[in-house]
Amino acid sequence: MTNNGFQHGNAAGMRIHVLPTKAFKTFAISLYAGVPLDESTVTSTALAPFVLRRGTATYPETTQFRERLEELYGAGFGFDIYKRGDYQIVQFRMDTINDSFVQSKESLLGESFAFLGEVLTRPLLENGSFRASYVATERETVRKKLEAIVNDKIRYAAERCIEEMCRQEPYRLHPLGQRADLDGITPENLYESYTAWLNGAILDLYVVGDTTPEEVEKLVIRHFGRAHKQSESYTSNFKPVTVQEVRTVEEKLDVNQGKLNMGLRTSITYKDDRYASALMYNGILGGYPHSKLFVNVREKESLAYYASSRYDGHKGIGTIQSGIETQNYGKAVDIIRKQLDELKAGNISDLELSQTKAMIRNLLSEIQDSAFELISFDFNRQLSGKDRSAQELLAEVDGIGAEEVKAAADTFQLDTIYFLTGKGE
Amino acid sequence: MKQIHYDKLQETLYHEVMDNGLQVYVLPKPAFKKTYATFATKYGSVDNHFKVAGGEETTVPDGIAHFLEHKMFEEPEGDIFATFASNGASANAFTSFDQTVYLFSATENIETNLTTLVDFVQRPYFTDENVEKEKGIIGQEINMYADNPDWRVYFGLIEAMYAKHPVHIDIAGTIESIATITKETLYTCYNSFYHPSNMLLFVVGGVDPEQVFELIRNNQAAKSYEKQGEITRIFEEEPVQVAEKHQESRLAVSMPKCLFGFKEKVEGLTGEAAVRRDLITKLMLDLLLGSSTALYQKLYDEELISDSFGHEFNSSPQYAFSAIGGDTKDPGLLLERIKEEINAVLESGFAEKDFERARKKKIGGYLRMLNSPESIAHEFTRYQFRGGDLFEVLPIYESITLDEVNTRLHDHVDWEQLAVSLVVSP
Repeated sequence: MTNNGFQHGNAAGMRIHVLPTKAFKTFAISLYAGVPLDESTVTSTALAPFVLRRGTATYPETTQFRERLEELYGAGFGFDIYKRGDYQIVQFRMDTINDSFVQSKESLLGESFAFLGEVLTRPLLENGSFRASYVATERETVRKKLEAIVNDKIRYAAERCIEEMCRQEPYRLHPLGQRADLDGITPENLYESYTAWLNGAILDLYVVGDTTPEEVEKLVIRHFGRAHKQSESYTSNFKPVTVQEVRTVEEKLDVNQGKLNMGLRTSITYKDDRYASALMYNGILGGYPHSKLFVNVREKESLAYYASSRYDGHKGIGTIQSGIETQNYGKAVDIIRKQLDELKAGNISDLELSQTKAMIRNLLSEIQDSAFELISFDFNRQLSGKDRSAQELLAEVDGIGAEEVKAAADTFQLDTIYFLTGKGE
Repeated sequence: MKQIHYDKLQETLYHEVMDNGLQVYVLPKPAFKKTYATFATKYGSVDNHFKVAGGEETTVPDGIAHFLEHKMFEEPEGDIFATFASNGASANAFTSFDQTVYLFSATENIETNLTTLVDFVQRPYFTDENVEKEKGIIGQEINMYADNPDWRVYFGLIEAMYAKHPVHIDIAGTIESIATITKETLYTCYNSFYHPSNMLLFVVGGVDPEQVFELIRNNQAAKSYEKQGEITRIFEEEPVQVAEKHQESRLAVSMPKCLFGFKEKVEGLTGEAAVRRDLITKLMLDLLLGSSTALYQKLYDEELISDSFGHEFNSSPQYAFSAIGGDTKDPGLLLERIKEEINAVLESGFAEKDFERARKKKIGGYLRMLNSPESIAHEFTRYQFRGGDLFEVLPIYESITLDEVNTRLHDHVDWEQLAVSLVVSP
């Protein structure tokens, strides 16, 4: 796993990252487009890829577009929209099988690039803007997706907790945008914002598979040929937040099970030299089934089926989530806060340290076996500006002791307690 | 040790049956860092009424296979998760209709972790106290699923279709049914279904097959198992027709969820015949309802379906049904339109070029699946328990004909056999 093996270059205004390998039966391609998370553009940025997937100059009808993917042996094509720090990222993915396994007349890697290049740079245009019916339908699709978040109570509670905690920051925004903005979006103004987005976004293109940087560069120039200005780099304007007072938010919905979520602030981010201690802190607190939360909330007290924590190094926050009987709220909060205090007090056993290190080691080593995991890990480096291989991170984790975890615990401050409870109470 | 080479897939599989009947398979993936291992018993939520040769006929509480899965993780010295964590392994388990699977993934200490996996599953430790404690945890798991509309609409559909067959019983059971579980009932199930001859160990990753077999051979030889007779699973006769045409539950949802499907008359298919029937049916459903079809696009543009619209086919020797649907603003209108559109396809049949494209898509999807050690292990075990072979899927895909797919369409789509499940807001 020495240095992540990617070879980096530039073509057509994009940063290109290629990992030549024969380990997989596929080519994995990811294109990341990042823009600052901003209230005025968040919705149009989210909507654009939905319209792009409806039709292109060559495949104007959606059925043609999808048939083309099927002809490429069911090439996987999709996109995700998410937040990383204060950026809104659109990630396009393609996953195509290596030609050597099938009798294909076309180069599947070449055809995948042709397809992705077309999706991004040659959308179907009518009278100089997007097809009106596509915009209208996809606007409804995004609206429905935003409305459907509440269907999954675990996810809803997690997102509401973040929204409450970050209510004064761009991070409160949902990566899919704001429902209220959708009505004002027209084919014309969406096409304008798409053009601005494509010209302004930070673009990183990744390929993992049996290929070379030279081949990829040629394909990029041929299929993304439109001259982009050279992509800028991600910058961070992270400022540590000092919590004055823990804020409690309760919300009532028709639910059988209460969802208890907590948000914490830390000054440690991905590029920080203390990042490894923050990873260890999260691992000991609630990253695994041997962690304090699982053992104390679930195994000892039988209060929950799940009780875990997560750490987001790009935003500098930690989260805790659990599903409990609503009447056990007070008891669960006490037990969870007690675990936070234990870590602050440095009550960390050697066993907890060694188990957590072994689990983090496993996680980082496993990245090697998935093309898209390799890509995500390397993208952290573009995003944070911190050049640190998985190997280096592993070595750092290995050197962490109870003192460093305790020091990290001091930076994690409870900010928000969010409780989703039943209406019957 | 038997070696089977699959030239087209560039994979080699190793197989050995232990003296006590345990099936062991190893698929080396030299380029991979991690090893993924599953230890599975052919025992799931539907096996609630059974008889082991020489024993008594037994009926057990709903949800007990899943309860047993939870309880296996507890050892006299504590939670087995801690042992896995000390060796850097991420462990888990799941229970489905017809199997219970224990697993880990790790990049180091593979022999230790394999030993831990095999030993903890072969060492039950149930006490009155630890059984009671688990009821609280599983109770919360049941509540979590009760709030999940996708799970509700899915089980609603199976409940609508099946009156007798236990496939309609929620895998975790209910708060009431698990209340009756005791350490004695757990031991009864354990002793009936966790005999090595009912189990399969699959190891995939950067391992040396002979080393794995050597380890497991010695491990099993050190344990004494009496030969076990055949397990008979007893199922009440299931009527051909659906139990209810329509099922509805209420949960806070942004838009109704509508799932429908056809209950098939079963012919007890197993082995390659069952695999072939399943592959043809899935190909047929994709040709009929997939996201590149005209039907899908029409309904999407009419705003009757969304990206959540999907389809699946589920089968065993005793049941076979499709589940089709997703979120919709108007379930009644969706069903009406679906019926019109499907009837039109019944008239016309599928076109050759669409069939060839769909076949390509399936082959591509199958090859992509082989990148994932997790998928390989799960799918291989599932096929094996049905008497099929995951690595023989490619030649089956290549031999399927358009006629077979068209025939399957007419056999499967029988409007008399339709059931509908809805989840709507209170």
